[in-house]
Amino acid sequence: MTTLILSGLGAAFVLIGTLGILRFRDVYSRLQASGVSDNVGTALIMIGLIVWGGWERHDATLLFLLFLLLLTNPIATHSIAKSAFTRGHKGEGQ
Amino acid sequence: MPIVEAVLLFSLVAVLWRLLRGPTQWDRLLAYNSASNRVVVLLAITAVGAGRSVLLDVAVVYVALSFLGIIILARVMERGGGNR
Repeated sequence: MTTLILSGLGAAFVLIGTLGILRFRDVYSRLQASGVSDNVGTALIMIGLIVWGGWERHDATLLFLLFLLLLTNPIATHSIAKSAFTRGHKGEGQ
Repeated sequence: MPIVEAVLLFSLVAVLWRLLRGPTQWDRLLAYNSASNRVVVLLAITAVGAGRSVLLDVAVVYVALSFLGIIILARVMERGGGNR
């Protein structure tokens, strides 16, 4: 039950992030939508997978994978935004 | 759990549409980042659901390689690579 709630919430966040990536008009807006809601959705689905079926042997690897995703995703988003800003790419209304 | 997999697959296809269509090169990079995130989560769900722990190691390597590729491509585009 807990894993169902957590995974459903994470899937909802992923869906909202996909909607933002598809519908926003600007690189920076899309980066904001993707960077926030994808991170939360991925982390929620991962936590739902960890609590699925009690403590098992592969849960340590799942925890390491969650740590790795939470470490690398904001760095990648920041790097893309910095690359677009340094090249002088103008957003909507700038 | 199949509904979560269905939602992830649908959003993977939608993000790949942005990767094909994106007006600028940074849109494609962002879509690649999101698509690799969804692929990693799908790999983890498959590994736990089917009881194959090998796929978790595959997912860890996938995260590291996609992060490396995104950082290198963003750095190349920052210094004048690409076309727009």
